[in-house]
Amino acid sequence: MNGREDLAIETRALTKRYGDSIVAVDDLDLGVRRGEVYGFLGPNGAGKTTTLRMLLGLVRPTSGRAAVLGVPPGAPQGLARIGAMVEAPAFYPYLSGRDNLLVLAGHAGVAEDRVAAVLDEVGLLDRAADRSATYSQGMRQRLGVAAALLKDPELLILDEPTNGLDPAGMADMRDFIRSLGQGGRTVMLSSHLMGEVEQVTDRVGVISDGSLVAEGTVDELRGRAGLRVRAEPHAEAARLIRALPEVDEVTSVDGLLDVTVDSSRAPAINRLLVEAGVAVWELYAQQASLEHVFLELTRSGGEPA
Amino acid sequence: MTRDVTAELLVLRKRAATWILLGIWTLLGVFFAYVVPYALDPEDAPGGVEQFFPDSLAGTLLVGFPFFGGVFALMLGVFALGSEYGWGTLKTLFTQRPGRLRVLAAKLAALAIVLVPFVLALFAAGAVASYVIAQIEDAPIGWPSAWLLVRAIAAGWLILAVWAALGVLLGVLTRGTSLAIGVGILYALVIEGLLSAFADSVSVLEPLTNLFLRSNGYSIATTLGASPQEIESNGPGSFSGPFVDSPQALAVLAALLAAFAALSGLLLRRRDVT
Repeated sequence: MNGREDLAIETRALTKRYGDSIVAVDDLDLGVRRGEVYGFLGPNGAGKTTTLRMLLGLVRPTSGRAAVLGVPPGAPQGLARIGAMVEAPAFYPYLSGRDNLLVLAGHAGVAEDRVAAVLDEVGLLDRAADRSATYSQGMRQRLGVAAALLKDPELLILDEPTNGLDPAGMADMRDFIRSLGQGGRTVMLSSHLMGEVEQVTDRVGVISDGSLVAEGTVDELRGRAGLRVRAEPHAEAARLIRALPEVDEVTSVDGLLDVTVDSSRAPAINRLLVEAGVAVWELYAQQASLEHVFLELTRSGGEPA
Repeated sequence: MTRDVTAELLVLRKRAATWILLGIWTLLGVFFAYVVPYALDPEDAPGGVEQFFPDSLAGTLLVGFPFFGGVFALMLGVFALGSEYGWGTLKTLFTQRPGRLRVLAAKLAALAIVLVPFVLALFAAGAVASYVIAQIEDAPIGWPSAWLLVRAIAAGWLILAVWAALGVLLGVLTRGTSLAIGVGILYALVIEGLLSAFADSVSVLEPLTNLFLRSNGYSIATTLGASPQEIESNGPGSFSGPFVDSPQALAVLAALLAAFAALSGLLLRRRDVT
């Protein structure tokens, strides 16, 4: 599978089974466009890490195909252009941060002066001579990102990069990932943290029980914005709004009306209700949060409730 | 490939276990080859007191390689690959550019280089010990020929290299260190040791023992001056023959080295890294 030119990562019916009963990844069709920051969302155990391992050639798919930067996963010509951090970053505990990166640079065929550059980029230069076993979780995460950046890669695959970071560290890492995504580099970011994905990514794929259940921009996934209305009398307000041709759906929840309609129709609906003698207490635009959509998708297996 | 090997040398060189093994191997090697037998009763040694003099250096030291040295090399090989599974560093290495077999080749090459000081250190320490004993005994100092020393050092290295390759294979097979070392020592002591002991009385075992690291290692050692009597009284690493000729022993050891490396490569290439 050579893959489409515009896609950095493409999978077709990618499947990984362990034995007869465990299907870690099931018939996955995925497309990550070149130059985008792609969020790979899913609950724990959904198959995110197994998918990433297959994309890096660490795990063989049971069936299906994949192309990463136009070549099969694990091919040296592809790996030369990919930086990755899968799960917890792993390093030789007795080697310093610098020596760990020197080992990786040796294998990757990267000039040794890149080591100092990436250590500086992730803010670890002053601790570079210390053994990596003495690093905090956050420092190990940063060393993992430094290792992923060594090759100045076209494609970065980061698996839960903010794991173990404190709130300030998470914010720094998000900014860092956002900056990495600029300048034409493709970033695939696996996470189960909605805020992280919402703030950083261009498009999102949601995986649940090994299957991709949704893919699109954050706005697309959140769906059309609607209106929420609190008006009296409630039934009369619902009848008037429901009669409008541009309204798709009106549902009544806890004395409020959830109206599926373009939010730009808010003034017209307000005017309609007021002219009909309905008292409007509240009328505002609302959109489902990504977290809400994610929970709906992963609970229902792809069909938002 | 040079940079891959340099990187792996850094990994081995900065690991405390490498230096600890080197130190213990050198100290115990001299201790069991010279200090203990000389202190107990030098005249009662299989080769007499002359066994401890410098001109017997090659044969006296090579007795320690096929079993005792082999266990050290086995551990070094296990650590080189097995630890990577424990630390999770294998996945970090395999997501770099070179490909799995190239990483393995670099690790094997680095191991091969690190084994050189293991052999040289023991020969240097043995030379000092034999010189001191010759001085104590007021015996004339005569050294083995340079050619014999080179061949002995090369033979010692080959024996250790095969054991280290077995360690690598066991490390890959068990994806760790503890079980690999356990199985390796079990193999050295029980499989090779017991079967070699029974081979004398059970003739069907003899062809099998001809493939053992122990029989081939000792066979080479005897051609370079090691005394069969000394090998026979070598404690848990003892071997009473039959010895094979030198070309056969070299061919078997080289074949085992290649087979262990190839099997490790096959496993590394085929199996998932999780």
